Amino acid sequence: MIYVFDGAMGTMLQNSGLKPGDCPELLNVKNPEIVTNVHAQYIAHGANIIETNSFGANRIKLSHYGLADRVVELNTAAVRVAKAAAGDKAKIAGSVGSTGKFIKPLGELTFDDAYDVFFEQISALAAAGADMILIETIIDIQEMRAALLAAKAATDKPVICQLSFNSDGRTVTGTDPQTAAITLEAMGADIIGANCSLGPAQLLPIVELLAENCSCPISIQPNAGMPHLVDGKTVFPMEAEEMAQWVPKLVEAGATYIGGCCGTTPQHIAAIKKAIQLLTPTVRKNRKPILALTSRSKTVFIDKTLPTVLLGERINPTGRKKLAAEIKEGNFLSVKKEALEQVHAGAHILDVNMGVAGIDQTKAMDKAIIEISQLVDVPLAIDTSDAKALEAGLKAYPGRALINSVSAEPDRLDEFLPLAKKYGAAILCLPISPAGVPKTAPERVAVVQTIIDRALAIGMKTNDFLLDALVMTVAADDEACIQTLNTLKLYREDFGYPSTMGLSNISFGLPNRPLINSNFFTMSLAYGLDAPIMNPYDTAMQDALLASAALLGFDKNARHYSLTAANTTAPTKAATAPVSDMDLLTRIKVAVMNGEKEAVAPMVEQALAEGHSSTEITDKSLTAAMNEVGVGFGSGKLFLPQVLLSAEAMREAFLKIKELLPMQTFENKGTVVIATVKGDIHDLGKNIVGALMENNGFNIVDLGKDVDTGIIVKTALEHDADIVGLCALMTTTMPQIDLVIKELKKAGSKAKVMVGGAVLTQDYADQAGADCYARDGVVAVNLAKELVAK
Amino acid sequence: MPIFNASLTSIDKSETKRYAGLNKVAFDEKLIDDACLEAQLLSQAKGIWQIYDYNHVTHTIEAEIPVMIEGRIVQRHLQNATKIIVLAVTIGEDIEHAITDHFKANKYTHSILLDAAATTAVEMAADSMEKTIIQEVQAKGYQTLMRFSPGYGDWNITFQPQMLRLANADGIGIALTDSMMLIPRKSVTAVIGLVPNCDGNSLNNRHDCKNCNKLDCLARKESSI
Repeated sequence: MIYVFDGAMGTMLQNSGLKPGDCPELLNVKNPEIVTNVHAQYIAHGANIIETNSFGANRIKLSHYGLADRVVELNTAAVRVAKAAAGDKAKIAGSVGSTGKFIKPLGELTFDDAYDVFFEQISALAAAGADMILIETIIDIQEMRAALLAAKAATDKPVICQLSFNSDGRTVTGTDPQTAAITLEAMGADIIGANCSLGPAQLLPIVELLAENCSCPISIQPNAGMPHLVDGKTVFPMEAEEMAQWVPKLVEAGATYIGGCCGTTPQHIAAIKKAIQLLTPTVRKNRKPILALTSRSKTVFIDKTLPTVLLGERINPTGRKKLAAEIKEGNFLSVKKEALEQVHAGAHILDVNMGVAGIDQTKAMDKAIIEISQLVDVPLAIDTSDAKALEAGLKAYPGRALINSVSAEPDRLDEFLPLAKKYGAAILCLPISPAGVPKTAPERVAVVQTIIDRALAIGMKTNDFLLDALVMTVAADDEACIQTLNTLKLYREDFGYPSTMGLSNISFGLPNRPLINSNFFTMSLAYGLDAPIMNPYDTAMQDALLASAALLGFDKNARHYSLTAANTTAPTKAATAPVSDMDLLTRIKVAVMNGEKEAVAPMVEQALAEGHSSTEITDKSLTAAMNEVGVGFGSGKLFLPQVLLSAEAMREAFLKIKELLPMQTFENKGTVVIATVKGDIHDLGKNIVGALMENNGFNIVDLGKDVDTGIIVKTALEHDADIVGLCALMTTTMPQIDLVIKELKKAGSKAKVMVGGAVLTQDYADQAGADCYARDGVVAVNLAKELVAK
Repeated sequence: MPIFNASLTSIDKSETKRYAGLNKVAFDEKLIDDACLEAQLLSQAKGIWQIYDYNHVTHTIEAEIPVMIEGRIVQRHLQNATKIIVLAVTIGEDIEHAITDHFKANKYTHSILLDAAATTAVEMAADSMEKTIIQEVQAKGYQTLMRFSPGYGDWNITFQPQMLRLANADGIGIALTDSMMLIPRKSVTAVIGLVPNCDGNSLNNRHDCKNCNKLDCLARKESSI
């Protein structure tokens, strides 16, 4: 059967006299007949399900009207007035909208506070007799998760979860329909759908994606087109008949609950009702349930038909003193770095372990999950043996996580499985029983069977499992490898669920462990390993994976293999003139020009050894290079980062000369006191000028940024500066330049003054009495040379 | 939803190249990658916004204490707006310190690339927040104008104190120097004009470098100089 919801409530109430700025839910007690009348009109026009006038009746929204303490009263009244209209003609959906605040870390509201707010409202709606709960117009998956958990705790009645999507097909906070459907179905949503923000045309592909990715019924409540504002009123242009034309398409895409959101009226509902008379629900293709993990914005599937999925193991303080110490201090910078770099290295899922002795693991896991999920878009595995830490992680995680791990030990089965079910997580099943680690493959299968039986018994699904084949040390047991491989094979034959395992234990105690590891890895992949837990930086393992994917047919025509293999042998830098044709000094010059920092020092060493003097190297190679770079920059052929690379290379050359000839003195072209003026906090530009001047033989006294006039003058006198370089970036700080110049003159400084910075011009420099204006760092160096030559 | 802290799950490489003045140049991609990765690691995006009525005849933001916007270009930009969003976004101080430290350690190139990646990050955080704003106001029938900041066009940066006050930016830790610079330096304040949505009304909504007085900007489009 196809059900028809009602249409918009707010605009109907406004037409009945609700003033902008008034609380719509207050009408439930002040003028209940108005609300009942709206409901009655929708029922008369064909709605099977009406939505209570309680969309904003949560504590946070009501506080805007000073009504925060009337949540129970207003929600109870909302159901009462709906019942008065419905009788037995329509079912009542208790409407629950957003709090209007984002949950941490996107906003300030804590997950627990959001949960409490929803729990209060939903409990009231359920107690008053709503037939179902409709959580709607939610734009953030984390707020939906809080509301859904609250609904599941508050009532046994069905819960409908409707998100709002943008025209780019994602919610504002980045969740796509596939990810939303998988995350919410796993958490026990009864009906999943979308409403508001888009019209039926734009929502059609969203319905399709939701339907393809869950087995729940799909609900859809579009706006009457995209809104316009006419004479201060928001108007939705789509007429009832036009809207109804979309109904067959929405039903074909999989929707069985259809209604309207903003701008829809009883006429729209009547037209929808008429349109469904001729329709029957689409028979949805039952997608084979595949294990899927989600983050806020991404879904990762694990299955034997799909390429291998890498679980990055590096966020684990076990045996890593520095990481453990940082976590203990509450410093998560290294944790975040490991997250980013593992994803960069190709990890598809990250394991998160906070097992540091003597810390509050619950707090650490909560913080780690929040920080990491804000930073990377891959799904996470929560790796802990502490049920409290596990729950904190699951709660904080805005997606469907993997629990690492559930063994057949009683406390794990009793504590972890209900948490997995509640938060919609998948579980990594570890074949360890109270009797210990089973040695043979059939024994491992039997232990895993007990875990799966328990999980299915509490309502988990067949796509909730990832099976660990368990790796023992081959040095201690000749059978270790064979038993693990057989376990992988049996897992695939007996269950068909995907498999995982940490690999490196196999080589414990053996020499050249990487060799054993990568060979074992290749064998395991052939025996059916789907998702190895590994160090993604390990190139031997990555190579084994690359080759195996080509061999096992996951890399069509070995395309990825070919491209990667080709890339690793190809030169990574732009081709330069063949070095063999050049003499050594020219080669140094070219290396400096190309910014080849590592190449320069050995060549300088060679040049000195071959008898070139340091002056010769400086003049013919280094200075010559920087001159050419300067010309290239001036003519727009080279850009600042390239100039700076050359400057770094030149610096390496100087350092090498100084190292080998410590008594060598370099020509000092002059002393430059350089500063960003008082009140200005930009210093990158000034730093660049200083670095380039230093490379060109000037003695630089860098006073930093936001420097007092007095200090600049005093330093210039003390160092008998040849040049004072002043930098200002803003119109507000530019006048400081005039002041410094005046004070320098007053103090009798003979230093020439060079000025520069974003807003400065030649004209300004002239009127301020500066000796020159430098547009950029390269110009500054040239001007400085001229100034000291005068 | 006046507070929104964007999640930055990547930093746009091509924007970073553009801000570093490397728009059309082949450059060692690894250096760009490293800068983007570090910017992502160190960014702590925070954002806040408020909505006000706007009188486009008197160019006044109708706050509790009304504030007039001066400057012909900005006034013209907002000429059809009836409401205005005032927003502030920052990515925090840590990245600023890293930029300085890298330069001190003579990693000049990495320092300026990180600076460019940080600019990209704060702009991305602002884009992300703008998206949430657009969703909210579109539902009410408004179109949004391009973000416009003090210092852009002829809008004097001495308006910054009002911007911070109107956005409640102290709530996310943005302060101002006497010389009108935002601290942390990688912060943005801006207004977004809201125009009633009408059929056939296409808004001139593109950034034009010609309107900007930051003539030495590395990202300035050549065509507009």
